[in-house]
Amino acid sequence: MTRNSEGALIVAACVLAAFGVTLVNFAQERSVDAQTALTFLVFLIAFGGLHMAVRAFAPKATPLLLAPVTALTALGFFQIYRLDIAAGTDRASFQRWWILIGAGLASLTLLLFNRGSISVLRRYRNITLLISLALILLPNLPVGWGFPLRGLSVNGSRLWVLLDVGFTTFQFQPAELAKLGLVAYVAGYLADHQRALREARRHIGPIAFPEPRQLIPLLITWGVSVLILISQRDLGASLLLFVGFVLLLYAATGTTGYLVAGGFLGLIAGVASYLAFDHVQRRVIAWISPFEHYEDEGFQIAQGLFAMGTGSLAGAGPGLGRPDLIPNAATDFIFAAVGEELGFAGTVSVLALFALTISVGLGIAFRSRDTFRKLLAAGLTFVLAVQTILIIGGVVRLVPLTGITLPFMSYGGSALVGNLILIALLLRISHEEAQ
Amino acid sequence: MNGPVRRLSIGLFAGFFALLLAVTWIQVIHADVLKADPRNSRPALSERGKERGLIVTIDGTVVAQSVPDPEDPRSFVRQYPEGEPFAHVVGYNSFLVGSSGLENAYADELRSRRDLTISDLVSVILGRDLRPESLELTINAALQEAAYEGLGGLKGAVFAIDPRTGAVLASVSSPSYDPESLLGGDAATVWESLLADPEGPLLDRATREIYPPGSTFKTVVTAAALDTGTAVPETEFPDPQEFQLPGSSATISNAGGGVCNDGQSITLLQAFIVSCNTTFADLSIQVGAEDVGITAEALGFNTDITFPWTVPEAIYPVDLLAEDPAALAQSGIGERDVRAAPLHMAMVAAAIANDGTTLTPYLVNRIFDADGNTVETFEPSPMGQAMDPATAAVVTEMMERVVTEGTGQAAAVSDVRVAGKTGTSMGLDGLPNPWFIGFAPAEDPTIAIAVFFEGSPELGESASGGGVAAPLAGDLIQLWLEGSP
Repeated sequence: MTRNSEGALIVAACVLAAFGVTLVNFAQERSVDAQTALTFLVFLIAFGGLHMAVRAFAPKATPLLLAPVTALTALGFFQIYRLDIAAGTDRASFQRWWILIGAGLASLTLLLFNRGSISVLRRYRNITLLISLALILLPNLPVGWGFPLRGLSVNGSRLWVLLDVGFTTFQFQPAELAKLGLVAYVAGYLADHQRALREARRHIGPIAFPEPRQLIPLLITWGVSVLILISQRDLGASLLLFVGFVLLLYAATGTTGYLVAGGFLGLIAGVASYLAFDHVQRRVIAWISPFEHYEDEGFQIAQGLFAMGTGSLAGAGPGLGRPDLIPNAATDFIFAAVGEELGFAGTVSVLALFALTISVGLGIAFRSRDTFRKLLAAGLTFVLAVQTILIIGGVVRLVPLTGITLPFMSYGGSALVGNLILIALLLRISHEEAQ
Repeated sequence: MNGPVRRLSIGLFAGFFALLLAVTWIQVIHADVLKADPRNSRPALSERGKERGLIVTIDGTVVAQSVPDPEDPRSFVRQYPEGEPFAHVVGYNSFLVGSSGLENAYADELRSRRDLTISDLVSVILGRDLRPESLELTINAALQEAAYEGLGGLKGAVFAIDPRTGAVLASVSSPSYDPESLLGGDAATVWESLLADPEGPLLDRATREIYPPGSTFKTVVTAAALDTGTAVPETEFPDPQEFQLPGSSATISNAGGGVCNDGQSITLLQAFIVSCNTTFADLSIQVGAEDVGITAEALGFNTDITFPWTVPEAIYPVDLLAEDPAALAQSGIGERDVRAAPLHMAMVAAAIANDGTTLTPYLVNRIFDADGNTVETFEPSPMGQAMDPATAAVVTEMMERVVTEGTGQAAAVSDVRVAGKTGTSMGLDGLPNPWFIGFAPAEDPTIAIAVFFEGSPELGESASGGGVAAPLAGDLIQLWLEGSP
């Protein structure tokens, strides 16, 4: 596939976004307005611009990555727009701005690495680590002080930072960016210590275990995850980071013991958080028996299942279902909302687009000769894949709901920005390896 | 190093495969269950404001229609122009409290298939009609409304059948409610207050509630006695003041407390005309539970009857009565464990009128499309021969004598041979439930009817089938025969 076909597919995805908005408008208002043109323009500027940035700064990057990402963003966007109409909110306008900002920052990422190489992340990984930890702790800034940068508590979770720039305020979740920094740090660390980690082994039966000393990085990441969980009550991000890192450790070393030890530590943390936190218990109850607890804990999951079941094969049609009956449909349950209005056809398309994106990411890792680039590409893809599986798995009741957002599709600026930068990093790695 | 990454990739894709399986389960295999869950309001919400088909009676009275909403011409509002008399038959279709009656039973035919989806476009290209279909009922609107008037707001029901076909001519339950009151935004409140009303306006007493049929059940016992040869109308029975129940100190006495004839003997015919309890207690034991049961079941007892909605089974507990002669004696006069809805007792009258052949009652004559073309027509469906035609003829004669000289004289219609049987069963609060079943004209019946009143303080403790139910039955038979071709 060539860069030109990528461009054509991106334009097609932009048309998809505009077409979705048009259908929703037609179904709800029986009219078509400027939203169609505006959506098409924003998507074209954002993803068309990113495509041009790839042409300019990473011309040898794979042409397979950007089109599915654009399509996923488009599918998510039209559901956000649809839910706006039902709720009388205007989240779509915000999301349009964040799409522009995210694509802009992704292009900027490509531009910055164009002057050097992605290996600067390996060289300065300790700085990356410090910045990432600082970002994670940022929401713990006092809420009430006069400084323009403040912490913010939403639904009992301290995940947000509020930036007051005088005429307006921005809210964002710094953990979404910290996620990338932490992956880069671990990839760098593992690339440098790979041999030591791999060779120093002890065996207990058929399972190989590393030297206790070598478990330190694992323990650090586990500690960071627990810290996030306790300080910010964010089960999802904590789980995501931890699983991502354990997978990366295993990828770097091939030592099964890391998976075993990681699973063991994860289990301890899971049981402890179940015992310690009400909201974890509620989520387990809702997962096991949503219909028996329909009136309270299970309501959201039950509504999600009703939505998808009613959507059935072909869906109610854009703007013709009632996804607004699901609490938090635009964030946690965007997958169920798509399932109601686009049906099984829509959910399978979404799964296929994610599978395509992730297999391209893994392909980049496979083809990388440089250890750091290989681990970074693998780590970023793992984070994306685990996040997707965890949240969709929560919606379809395979796992308890973790409250993380669906990449590219859920409403939320920070996640979109973080994930588009993640794609930019993958593109950069792909470009460097092809050189 | 690609080895571990490859293994992890396999793991991740196994995860995606699991998601795919879960989505397949939810949206394909298990979808209908989720869609039908009563807590899932989506199907009802999607029907809201859409056009639904007409429901008209056979004489052209519109009882349900959709008209454009004056406030939003794109959507429709449902109207029930005839209101209360048809409430239990037509039902309602409310997005807040669900649906009932024909609106529920024929939901699929009555709904519009226009969903504004791409598949609509395909259907239109293929020439399919997306407009809702309509129902034509067998009900006669004048009879239905007169029956509702005649019940006078008291607790009761009327069920009338054309004995030649099984077509339902009237199905009325009283008191009733305005089905349009359940369509508004305050439907939940209205529903709560209707549910809390001690008069039970939501109950369909004609087809969905069963009561002891009292002496109207003597028609069934008589038919069984004649069929088995246990007795003929001339057979003599003792005429005591009380009938001693076997194995019990309790007795059965007659209405009014005295003897039925001369205190010596009474023929079966006389006992039938004056509705003598002691005779039928005796006869019931003589015929036996099995043989009464065979006739009762062929008339629709202990049988699942096909109707647009679930009708409770009429009860004649054969096995129980075979072992308990005291209960068998009480069952002979339609008390104790015998239960039937007015629908079932009208079926009994109709079968006697129809030379002993029981017909399944049907409510919908035909389904037609938006252009008026018939989509489906319903035909009479016989359930079986309940009694010998000769037996039916004898019972008919006996029932005529009830109206000419017995307990059912109030049902008489001038110049018409009316056959009937009264009944007065014991209600829940010790208040009597007056019954009347009958048909006319006896020589060539075109209507069979059951009139039922539920015991109430307004009727009092001395209400009887002959005094309360028979006059209404007579009026309705007269109305029908005057109006029918």
